[in-house]
Amino acid sequence: MQLLSGDARRAVFAPLDDGALRSEAVVRRMGSAIALGLLGDGEQLPAETDLATMLNVSTMTLREALAELRKLGLVETRRGRGGGSFVRSQDDVLADLADARLAQLGTTDLRELGDVHGAVAAAAARLAATRASSNEIARLRDIVERLARATSVTDQRRAEGRYFIELAACAQSVRLTMQEMDLHLELGQLPWPPAHVPELLGVIVAGHGAVVDAIEDRDAPRARALTEEHIETRTVWSIELLLQRMGDGGSASQREVS
Amino acid sequence: MTAGVRPEGSRAEEAARVGAAVSEVVGRLFSTVTAVRAAALQPSAREGLRAGRPVLDGDVRNLLREPGQLAVGLGLVIAPQPERGLPLRLEWWQVDPDGGSLRTLEPDLKPTSLGYYDYPATEWFDVPRRTGRRHVVGPYVDVHGTGRYLLTLTEPVLVDGQFVGVAGADVSVRRFETHLLAGLGRLPAPFLLVNDEDRVVLSTAPRWLVGSRVPPGGGPAGPGAAVPGVPWRLHVVDDASPLRA
Repeated sequence: MQLLSGDARRAVFAPLDDGALRSEAVVRRMGSAIALGLLGDGEQLPAETDLATMLNVSTMTLREALAELRKLGLVETRRGRGGGSFVRSQDDVLADLADARLAQLGTTDLRELGDVHGAVAAAAARLAATRASSNEIARLRDIVERLARATSVTDQRRAEGRYFIELAACAQSVRLTMQEMDLHLELGQLPWPPAHVPELLGVIVAGHGAVVDAIEDRDAPRARALTEEHIETRTVWSIELLLQRMGDGGSASQREVS
Repeated sequence: MTAGVRPEGSRAEEAARVGAAVSEVVGRLFSTVTAVRAAALQPSAREGLRAGRPVLDGDVRNLLREPGQLAVGLGLVIAPQPERGLPLRLEWWQVDPDGGSLRTLEPDLKPTSLGYYDYPATEWFDVPRRTGRRHVVGPYVDVHGTGRYLLTLTEPVLVDGQFVGVAGADVSVRRFETHLLAGLGRLPAPFLLVNDEDRVVLSTAPRWLVGSRVPPGGGPAGPGAAVPGVPWRLHVVDDASPLRA
């Protein structure tokens, strides 16, 4: 069994500390880890007791979460020798999960998430403009090109996550890098806008490309401003998506007051 | 005496003293790398390399326990050979930053993951592969790997003239700095150690932060002094400080 390690493992299996609805939080965390490829299709999960300890939840809570993941079809449990719980990555299920998550949030939650992501990523972009080496800039550009070529939602999400995480690493900051990793596990729980409007991928690619240009020009204020602007745009998209869903009324009954 | 009025002669002497200390530390780290490489070339290890089985004797990790060892991680990173069915693989141990116990590094090697540790693309792997020579990289964030802020030293490992991977050692930037500054005793005039990417590796001039870049023309005047054994330069700088009245 291969366990994740390094920053990814830390982020996926970081203890959950929001008291309410813990099994649901576990489901969301695992869902985004699958959506981002951190838990790959066919990958075996750690034993229940280990997983419960890592996530700092009771075995009971974990079992509830696994039961839900099984019901959704994202986890498959095989009995007997060589048995265990295995990941089943399914794009349509992940998209439904993301829609359900969006329906639980208010516009201010999305604004808050955007505010934090904007603060972290814009700071990283500003620092990267003065600190990144030419090799690192070339790597950033390479990631943006991969994002442009990515065809599946999972590939696009993953490439974009790598862009932001690499940007933070270019800032020479372990802390910003960890923040980005954590933020992406949260962002990975939400719908991916180009899945609804494919043209938006072009906007995202152009936005990141312009930031890389600014970093290459060693123009820190521009790198920062462009990153802030882009993330504000993204916040507007997710709020629009949320309001559309509320307008459709389809998911209204699922919403909960928290 | 303030830093600004030191005579030039003593500056050159101090630069030489700091440079010698840096060379000594780098040399010591490379001797660890060389020991890992030698272990990877043992007959049993070569057999492991050929067959895609474990290569290094587990005892190699004990190099991390040797007195005076500065490395926080070491091991062998193997070149994948997809045509022979040999995947990405590394045998790497690190000192746990919290407890001091030794752990095996098991990064995410799934290319389809957000957390994929794409080591064949890293400078510490790619440069020795391309040049056939040892290499020092950093400071850098080892994103998706150890997640730490590091200097990494690597040497290519060749079997029958073929590149099979790199042997390497990591030193945390913090440990490198603490060790060097403690070893220097009385701090010399403010100085900057700059790598071949114009990045500050070590600085006793607070205006120049570790990890920042010293743009050509925008940094300290002059070419600085070469540091033997590593492609770094040492600059003695004037650094007026409000805390140093």
